[in-house]
This record gives sequence, structure tokens and C-alpha cells, in this order.
Amino acid sequence: MATRNLILLLAGVVFALFAPQLLGAFWASLIMQILIFGVLALSVDLLLGHTGMFSLCHAAFFAVAAYTTAILQVRYGQPTILAAPAGILVGCLLSLIYGLAVRTSGVYFILVTIAMGYILWGVAVRWGSFTGGDNGIGNVPFPAIGPLKVTSLTAYYYILWILVGLGVLGYRLLIQSPFGLTLRGIRDSESRMRALGYNVGRHKYAAFVLSGCIASFAGVLYIYFNRFISPATAAFPISVEAALMVIIGGVGTILGPFIGSAVFLIMRNYVSAYMDQWMTITGLVFIATVLWAPNGFLGLLKKYRTRPQDPKHRAEAGKTG
Amino acid sequence: MNWAIQTLNGISMGALLFLLSSGFTLTFGLARVVNMAHGALYLLGGYLGLSMVLATKNFWLALLAGGFGIVILYYFLDRFLIRRTGENHLSQVLLTVGIAFVIADIALLIWGGDARRLPAPAFTQGPIQLAAGLYYPRYRFLLILFGVIVGVFLWIIYKKTQIGALVRAGVDDREMVSAMGININRLFALVFALAAFLAGLSGVAGGAFLTLYPGAEWEILVLALVVVIVGGLGSLGGAMVGSLVVGLIDAYGRWLLPEFSYFVIFGPMAVLLLFRPTGLFGRKN
Amino acid sequence: MESHAVEITELTKTFGGVHAVEKVSLQVPIGQRRVLIGPNGAGKTTLFNCVTGSLPPTSGRIFLFGKEVTHLAEHLRTAMGLGRTYQITNVFPDLTVLENIILSIQGTTRKKWVLHRPVKSFPEILDRAAAELERVGLKHRQADSVHLLSYGERRQLELALALASRPRALFLDEPCSGLSPSERQRIFNIITQLPRDITIVCIEHDMQVALGLADQVSVLHRGRLILEGTPDEVKLNPEVREVYLGKV
Repeated sequence: MATRNLILLLAGVVFALFAPQLLGAFWASLIMQILIFGVLALSVDLLLGHTGMFSLCHAAFFAVAAYTTAILQVRYGQPTILAAPAGILVGCLLSLIYGLAVRTSGVYFILVTIAMGYILWGVAVRWGSFTGGDNGIGNVPFPAIGPLKVTSLTAYYYILWILVGLGVLGYRLLIQSPFGLTLRGIRDSESRMRALGYNVGRHKYAAFVLSGCIASFAGVLYIYFNRFISPATAAFPISVEAALMVIIGGVGTILGPFIGSAVFLIMRNYVSAYMDQWMTITGLVFIATVLWAPNGFLGLLKKYRTRPQDPKHRAEAGKTG
Repeated sequence: MNWAIQTLNGISMGALLFLLSSGFTLTFGLARVVNMAHGALYLLGGYLGLSMVLATKNFWLALLAGGFGIVILYYFLDRFLIRRTGENHLSQVLLTVGIAFVIADIALLIWGGDARRLPAPAFTQGPIQLAAGLYYPRYRFLLILFGVIVGVFLWIIYKKTQIGALVRAGVDDREMVSAMGININRLFALVFALAAFLAGLSGVAGGAFLTLYPGAEWEILVLALVVVIVGGLGSLGGAMVGSLVVGLIDAYGRWLLPEFSYFVIFGPMAVLLLFRPTGLFGRKN
Repeated sequence: MESHAVEITELTKTFGGVHAVEKVSLQVPIGQRRVLIGPNGAGKTTLFNCVTGSLPPTSGRIFLFGKEVTHLAEHLRTAMGLGRTYQITNVFPDLTVLENIILSIQGTTRKKWVLHRPVKSFPEILDRAAAELERVGLKHRQADSVHLLSYGERRQLELALALASRPRALFLDEPCSGLSPSERQRIFNIITQLPRDITIVCIEHDMQVALGLADQVSVLHRGRLILEGTPDEVKLNPEVREVYLGKV
């Protein structure tokens, strides 16, 4: 890593550490949202950038995990040590079921994931007795594990950075592993992968389930930040926005989803401060991104199956072979 | 007795869904375009019709306003936006979702957030007696008839005319039809126009009994998606069967298991896809 | 009696009304170099696709090393020792050359399921990849993304992918197609220098390559097997000359 990058990283770390004090609660809250939705976008990118599958149901895992943790803490008085893992677990269970969608491909896969996302949203809205319906579930306490009690959003700010950092490190291991390479092979040529001995269906299923687990992790992070969950969080627009964040930032990278999350959320926050039509602006951002910036900030989006842009490989390719 | 009513509810919903999804499925079958704004077009068509009927007190003008208004809008959307995504389904989905957001938000600005019911002509109001002791809202019954008439009309064109044969051939093998010297773009334009017209028209028709409100565009789109998933993208017959099936399941689901009604619709769809990943009548491409 | 490497019995594949492959039966002994020739549309690639498992046959039976594989999934046939190349280059365009080879190597191992350690931490895979790249002459390009490679280099990679999984039976579909004479020679040398315990079935249009490589030649025409014999026998056969008018 070049010295310049290291300095930038250090500056970033210092900035992040003191953001609540330097910039105030509004920005600290925004940064937390960027991190949380960045993880959600990361989960979508595991499928989109690395496996070539475009899933539009990840809000379902996100919300189901958040709901589970919320219900356990609020209605059943369970402690964080139980409620948080349970949230992730339920989200993973859902992705085990929803993962069967990988039996379809192409546009059918997209449509099926949309439909699956709606099932969960529909349950959240209509099963009012359990989920609270449109009123949602509120008054979720801050997390507390043994002697460690979070007492303010500022404290949670730092916890979030640590947790997201750990998550990103884990994700990095995953995409650099043989399994990660396998996914990119599937993205590039399913037929060749089959001919090379890979059970493509099984790998896609595993990728989908892993991606659902990451989204569930983001959902648990979310509920302790927002401390309120409603069906809107499970809705289709959330899934689409996650995909958009990936594309804005650059598919197939680790930083891309977070950059996309930052760009999107900052833009929306600015816009909704000045006008009510932020839905229109969101829509226009979609249109503009697809038509004029399909490259994203870090990567390229050329076809349905997209490619990673690893700066290291580019540099090496530039050298004489 | 309730069974009969719910069955009729399902069939009338199916009729509405057919009007909406037939265009969606043919647009995909022929031009490989996935238009996620189809629901928004439905909603906007309904609102346009609402304004027309409030201004002129004429429901028929409203139907035409909804239909043609959307045809015009879709022409511009396609020419300047959708066409530029080629066959990249990822881009199409994102782009058309963006378009849907914009349309819906502008509609919210113009027509407000309350549920609006389109006033239907007097002769469609009130009950109609279908059998001894069986009364059903006349409007919904007429909608069923209308759906059947449109269905038959489309089927005849699709199966018995030369244009229909060209569309069928195009769905099957677009390059071949192009190579035969047929102006494939004109064929596209025709099918797009028809799809847009039906979307707007169904908005007016639906607005009279389902009402129009923010969010309706996604609720109806999702049902239409299930129709085309189950029926198979590109299949007109599939859209007919799918619409009926989804309409009936939706009606029974709401009645018997209101808390899980979405699950009731999507469950069978999911099971179907496990065994036939391209739907009942779809083709692998 | 030792079983053949490949045995096909009355294999038929129809698409709608088209009989792409019509009741073809052949046996390839272990270690043999068999070349399939025939004009375009004779059904050679379709036959390959049925044998490797990417297409289900309409009827007939297929055996690999004595085991029936007629309905076995493609990736499981590869695990049994099958390898193939494609006539239309089918490599991984957005990965580096090295990553392409690694995919081939790990495809038949359990390592493809490892998700907690980087690929770089497996020296045995990296060493083997280096050796395979050396064999086809692409070592100097290992860090390059495939889309930077020339057509000829991609054909080399195409072959390398099939070889890297150490197959026992290799199916090559026109390995030299579209190559310049010197590139053709290089591919030819790689193939002929392969150890004799590997069975090779090769589709080839280039007569010189075909006859130089083959122990036995099978001639397909319109989906049917019309002749089998040594290269000399086939070269002199009048029916073959007729079918191939102008090609020899």
C-alpha cells in the first residue's frame, strides 16, 4: 500500500473517531446509517459483483433480523446476548428458504426475488398481531451485554465502527478465498465452471445464503441504531436502493458499496431538507446512474454480469510482462 | 354463497390483471424489456382518467384519456430512456424503477395522497342478479365481460392474423423476423403502444373499484409479476391462465387467510418455479 | 478385459426435427489418440456435448472408464477425469490468467469450498498453476486480465484450463481453430507431448493436424458415423474424399 494511501487511511481514522465531537449528532447519525446500509449493500454485492446474480429481496433479511431482535427485546424482555444472535439466525433461516430461488436464472431470478421480498413485507404489514403492523415495533433498548452497556447513540457510534470493521475483514477473507474465486468464475462463465467440476447450483445457493446472513447482520446493527422497525424497512424500495448503492460505488469491490451508500444517503439527506420530492430525486438518481454513470465510482458495470476492478491487477497489467 | 362471491371477485381481479399483464408479458417476449414502471403507468392512467371524468363527467372519455395518455408518455419514456438500456435487464430494472418513483411522486403532488375512486357510469352501479339469491356488483361483473372480450380480441389477433403471426414469430426468434426484412421496430412500436394503452386503461378500470392511492402501483405490479412468472414471460396464453389463477388465489387468500395473503399467492408460485423455472408456458432463452 | 476410456452406444441427439447425432457407437481405448473429422454440421460438437454432459442425449448410452454416465451431471463427469476444450473460446474474461488456471486446479478438489483463507495461502495450488502456465507458455502473462490477451493466447489458455485439472480423458474441440501456423504448431506440440496414459479425443478440421496426431480416425457425416480407421486408411477412402471435397 502506498504511503499516500496510508496517510489517507490515518486521516480517515482520526476523522471517524472524532466525528461526533467535530461534526455533531446529525453527522454522526448519518455516518452510522452509511455504515449500516453499506453492509447491506455489501451483501447485495456478494451476489451481484461476485456471482453475477441480481437479487432484489435483501431488505427482507435485513428487516426480519431487525424485527426478530426487536420483538425478543421489547415483547419478551430478552437480553441482547440472546436477541442479537437470534436476529441473525432467523435472517439466515429465511435465506436458506429464499435461496431456493437460485434454481431460476436471468430475469426470472430478478422477478422471483422481487416477489419474495414482497412476501415478507406483506407478512410484516398484515400479521399485525405479531409484527405490530404499520405501527411497527419501537422502544427497542440500546444493546447491553453483561457489564457492557451502551447508553447513548454516541457510544453506539464507536461500537458500530468496530463491528462493521470486523465484518468487512471477514468479508475480505471471504472474497479472497477459493470460494470467492469460485463465485467470480461462475459470474464469468457458468458453463466452463460446470465443465471444470463445480456444482454451480450448490455454490450459488451457498453464496445466496451467505449474502442473506450478511444482510441479517446489518439488520441487527440497524435495530440498535434506529430502535424502531416498521414494514417500510422490508419494502421493495430498500432492496432497490441497496443495489443502487452498489452500482454507484462500484461493483465487485469492498469500498464501493460504502461509497455508494455514502453518496446516496448524503444526497438524500440534503435533498429532503429542501424539498418533499425526495422520491423523485431518488428516481432521477436511478435514471442518471444507469444512463450516465454505469461505471460507478470505483468499478465498471457493462453487462448483466459485471467485473471487479482490482487496482492491483491493473497496475500489474500495465507493467511489461 | 360466499364461495361464489369470492370466486367472482377472483375472476374480476383476474380480468383486471390480464389487462395489465398481457402487455407486460408481450413486451418482454418480443423486445426483452422488463418494465418495472408498468404499475406506475397503471396508476397514472387511472389518475388521468379521474381528471377527465371529473372534468367531462364522461367515463368513456376517461378510458380513452387513460389509455392514450399512457401511450404518449410511454413513447417518450421508451425513446429517450428505456431504449438506451438495450437488453441489460439489470439496467432496465433500475431505470424503470427510477421512472416509477418519479411518476408516483409527481402523481402524489398532483392528485394527493388520499384514496380516490373513479366515478363509474350509472348503469354500472348497483347489484346484478346472477342466480337465485346471488347478487354481485354490476361493475365487477361487467369488468369480467370486458376482460373476456379483450382477451378474445387479443387472442384472435395473436393467433389468426398476420400481424399476430409476426409477433409470435418475433417472440420466438427475433433475429429471424428481422432477417426476413420485416421492420421489427414497427412491430415493437405496435406492441409497446398496445401494452401502454392497456396499462392506462386498466388503471381507469381498476380505479373505479379498487381506488387509486400511493402504493397501488407496486401492489398491482407485484400481482402482475406473479402472473407473468407463473404464466411464463412472453406467453399470451400464460398471461390468461396466470391472471385467472392469481386473481382467484388473491381473492381466496384475502378471505380465508388475510394475514398471510401474500404468502398464499407467492407460495404456489415458488413451488411452481422449483419444478418449472420458466413458468407454465415460458421458454428458456 | 480392460474397459475403454470412452464408450458410446447408439447415441442419438435430436433437436426438434433435426437429427444432430444419429445412432453413433464408438469405443476409445485408454491412451488412444482419436480424431473426429467431418464437415460442418456433422454433429461432432453435439456428440462432445453429450459425452461431457452439457447436453442430455435423446437416446443411447455413454460410458466413461467402464462406468455408465449417460445421465450423470457434467461436473461429476469432470470429477471422474473428463476434461474438455471449446471450439468457441470459453475462458473467464474478467479474471487474470493465473486465476483462470487456479479455478481449473481447484475445481476437482475440496478446496473450492474453503472460505476463510485466501487463495494465496495455498502454495501447492500456486506452484501447480505456475507449472501449468509454463507448459502452455503463458507464465509471463499470469497477472494479466484475460481480456488483454490476443486470440491465440486465449486458445492457449483454453487448452491450459482443460489440462490443469489433470484429466484422464481429454476432449478437444478444434483446439487450433483460428490460429496462425506457428500458433497451430505450438498447440500441436503441447498435445502430442502429453503423456500416453491420457486418452485424447479431438475434433479437428485441419487435416494435417488430425492425421499427424491420430492413432485412429472416426468420420462423421450428417450425424452418422460413416467410417473408422487409421489415418492412412481414411485419407485414401473415396467416400471420405467425396464428403470432404477440396478439404484434404
